[in-house]
Amino acid sequence: MIPLLLILIPLLGGLINFFLKEEKTAKGWALLISLATLAASLAGIAQSGTLSFDAAWLPTLGSSFALSADGMAKMLTLLTAVSFPVIFIATNKNNYKNTSAFYALMLLSQAGLMGVFLSADCLLFYFFWELALIPVYFLCSIWGGERRIAVTFKFFIYTFIGSLLMLGGILYLYFLTPDHSFALKSFYHLHISAKEQNFVFWLFFIAFAIKMPVFPFHTWQPDAYEQSPTAVTMVLSAVMVKMGIYAVVRWLIPIFPEATAHFDNLVMVLAIIGMIYASLIAIRQDDLKRLIAYSSIAHIGLMCAAIFAQNKVGLEGVMIQMFNHGVNVLGLWIVADAIEQQLGTRKFSELGGLAQKAPGLAILLVILAFANIALPLTNAFVGEFLMFNAVFQHNIWMAVFAGTSIILAAVYTLNMVQKVFYGNTVPSTEHAIEAGSNTRAMLIVLVIVIIVLGVYPKPMIDLTNDTVSTILAAR
Amino acid sequence: MNAIIFSALSGVAMMFTGIFTTNKSAIRNVAVIALLGLIIVNLLHSYGIFVVRVNTHSMLQFETFGLFFNTLVFAATLLFVLLSGKDVTNAGTYGAEYFALIFFVLCGVSILTCYNSLLMLFIGIEILSIPLYILTGADKRNLKSNEASLKYFLMGSFSTGILLMGITLVYGITGTFSIEAMRPAVSVGAPNYGILEPVGLLFIFIALLFKVSAAPFHFWTPDVYDGAPTVFTSFMATIVKAAGFVSFIRLFDARAIEMGISWKIILPVIIIATLLIGNITAVFQQSVKRMMAYSSIAQAGFMLFAVYVNNDMSKEGILLYTAAYSIATIGIFAILTRMKDITFDGFNGLAKKHPVLAATNAVFLLSLAGIPLTAGFFAKYYMLAAVVKENGAGALWLVIVAVLFAAVSVYYYFRVIQAMYFKEGEPEITEVSGGFKTALVMLAVLIVLIGTFPSALLNWFYF
Amino acid sequence: MSPVPVTHILFVSTALFFIGMYGLFTRRNMITMLMSVELILNSVNINFVAFNKYLYPGKLDGIFFSLFIITIAAAEAAVAIAIIINLYRSHHSIDVEDAGELKY
Repeated sequence: MIPLLLILIPLLGGLINFFLKEEKTAKGWALLISLATLAASLAGIAQSGTLSFDAAWLPTLGSSFALSADGMAKMLTLLTAVSFPVIFIATNKNNYKNTSAFYALMLLSQAGLMGVFLSADCLLFYFFWELALIPVYFLCSIWGGERRIAVTFKFFIYTFIGSLLMLGGILYLYFLTPDHSFALKSFYHLHISAKEQNFVFWLFFIAFAIKMPVFPFHTWQPDAYEQSPTAVTMVLSAVMVKMGIYAVVRWLIPIFPEATAHFDNLVMVLAIIGMIYASLIAIRQDDLKRLIAYSSIAHIGLMCAAIFAQNKVGLEGVMIQMFNHGVNVLGLWIVADAIEQQLGTRKFSELGGLAQKAPGLAILLVILAFANIALPLTNAFVGEFLMFNAVFQHNIWMAVFAGTSIILAAVYTLNMVQKVFYGNTVPSTEHAIEAGSNTRAMLIVLVIVIIVLGVYPKPMIDLTNDTVSTILAAR
Repeated sequence: MNAIIFSALSGVAMMFTGIFTTNKSAIRNVAVIALLGLIIVNLLHSYGIFVVRVNTHSMLQFETFGLFFNTLVFAATLLFVLLSGKDVTNAGTYGAEYFALIFFVLCGVSILTCYNSLLMLFIGIEILSIPLYILTGADKRNLKSNEASLKYFLMGSFSTGILLMGITLVYGITGTFSIEAMRPAVSVGAPNYGILEPVGLLFIFIALLFKVSAAPFHFWTPDVYDGAPTVFTSFMATIVKAAGFVSFIRLFDARAIEMGISWKIILPVIIIATLLIGNITAVFQQSVKRMMAYSSIAQAGFMLFAVYVNNDMSKEGILLYTAAYSIATIGIFAILTRMKDITFDGFNGLAKKHPVLAATNAVFLLSLAGIPLTAGFFAKYYMLAAVVKENGAGALWLVIVAVLFAAVSVYYYFRVIQAMYFKEGEPEITEVSGGFKTALVMLAVLIVLIGTFPSALLNWFYF
Repeated sequence: MSPVPVTHILFVSTALFFIGMYGLFTRRNMITMLMSVELILNSVNINFVAFNKYLYPGKLDGIFFSLFIITIAAAEAAVAIAIIINLYRSHHSIDVEDAGELKY
């Protein structure tokens, strides 16, 4: 029942939100709904074992409304459920024209994301995969920056082409199943010849690679992150990119084990090229949002490489890093939003010395920055250590090249901290004040999560243990 | 049979209504009642109850598929009349006569869904086409409308000529008009007819390709759709086109095997050409009406998959496609008739001034683009699934090409959405009544319902 | 007098068919185009009657078909003439080149 609630609460809440005309009510209602979702998610975590829900949907097609929440799904639904209230509270002061529609679409996108993480039926998965996109498309295009229409359209077309290719692949697999079924189990039990795998693999992989994004499919991402309203960017980078990684782990690796083994080096090389490339570009950025966007590409690249290393450490690292990356990047965006809302600029050249004016924000940012570089005692350290370990086991040279991105990450992250918060104040930051209390409160929550998980990551690893063993067994 | 008789009688009745009353709303009400009656008698037929028993000498053969298609088309026409009835009566000076012509078209449709003889195919197509020539030219003072009508007539009669030439060749070789008697299963061991029969069939197929506006016989479509009064464009692009496909499928059911392997090569080429021309040209249009004309060519490319593969799935698919495409297109054209400026820019800022129109229009466009949760997704899904089911890995490339073109189609459908929601502007629009908005919302709900539970519609098909 | 073989008649009808098609594509006068359409239809009529007479003399299928064609051709011509007259009223010309509101 809980998996169904996780989708239904934001879905119905979002639809109701369209009709709330009062701005305050709309914000309050959205927060209430997102907290209810969080409660449902925590209730799901409290129950052990895989939660599932199954209802007849399209019996003639062999598809059912099947949801299942194993460790990985629980973890990602938790991430989704945590992100939305944090976003709502941290950006509470931001004003949008037509507030009710904004929050309604946000909740609808949450429902879509939950559906992606929970569905255990391929057609259902495809449904949610696209449905999560539509509200985000409207959110970015209506409330985004100057170039929003062209940029979000590029984003939409990219992902749409990817998902249509995936639809072709899904159809192909569907007719291979003996009982013509879309169920996850039937797909796992398929015996596909190596030749077919090598072809259909790409139909799926391109869809997921565009979403993650992996080099060279990443070009939509920095623009989209920059032009979207920051609340939406948070959703995009904290949760939505996880769709791609989740899909690779859940659908790609177990269904195409031979193709995965066949193309692992190619994909890993692409991922590592992407890491270094994105890190180098990040160093040269002058815009806070673009810097975080490129840094995000680099982190995602490492996760992708670790998945394709196909060993236990790597998968464990990816599992916890999916959650941790979401938390860290969310924190960075909240800081970026706080700065932009107050000062009206995101350019490093127009910022400086903020630490004198907003010491609280500065300390929080420094911890977030450490987490972004994956220093020990922060949550990201555990995940990245495991992932590097996995890449190292796979191929030493790849690990060496991937390792340079750590150094580069330190360069651009610390550079950013220094330029924004230290040094002398410039005219635009002369009258800056401390960020709002709710922003700081949310950042403190995130920082606590970062440190707790950095010191004691075991619960996360235990939570996702069942998924890791299932996937390794399916190979 | 019921439907054929009743639709012809309704047409005549409508003409008399025109004599007795000039009250437009009375005319519309009569049309709605006649359409309801038409749906009911057609349903009665499927339960074996006949108004008049006629011996058709097996020139007509009634199957569940055809009857269900009739119901679907009549229901779509009913929605069309409920939504755009006012525009039909206002398109020219003779309100009642336009409805009469629409009923005659429906009569042609009901012949085409059950013909079993090439003679009936010919008669059905002509009964369908001739009223359409007139409807296209309904706006007599408008030069564009007149020209479109002339063009449509020339192209239509040309394709009729080709169709007839094909029929004579087939007749000359086989000595019969019945497609049933020529079914391969029946004529096992029949003499080999040589080259003339495939040539004759090819002629017939070309004529039908003209009717469904598949490339390379599509060139009349944009001009005619653009020139005709918008209400009738909507009618032509949906109901008439779908009927063309059903007649195509019936013929193919019986005769595809004789065309042999070569047809399995020609048809994919035609499908790809249709998708290519329809989609790429639509991208460059400035007028939404013309864009919709090209998009209808592109959608025809998808519907041709039902001709290419002939299995249960493709039949269900064409039914679903007809429903999804008709509802969405009727809705879009209904909104288009209310717009003063039918270019993309004319839609700028519609969401702010008329949120209901914009929201429903967005649902229709999303459905045409094939986004999940709308009927259009399952329509496309069934078509692609039918191809993969029939040909397996060999047809995967065709599916990939098709989905890439579907992605292109998103470009021009979303331009309208962008204009409505993301751009500022002062859209000029004629007065819309509350009933019109309610009807639009109903259509949108219908699309979402079919998109969520397509089996509800299709289960009905199996009774 | 020896009977005319069927092939000769078929030659005539085929020739008529292509003359009609040629006329439809090259002539710019609407009335001539309409006549070309009629030529095409009549060539088909000849075909039907010839096939019926020579190949299947036992039945009357082909002849009936040609009756239907004649009837429908008359209906088509009536509609076509109406359209042409309407165009003539507005353009004062029956040349298709003058009807250029809709560009390809």
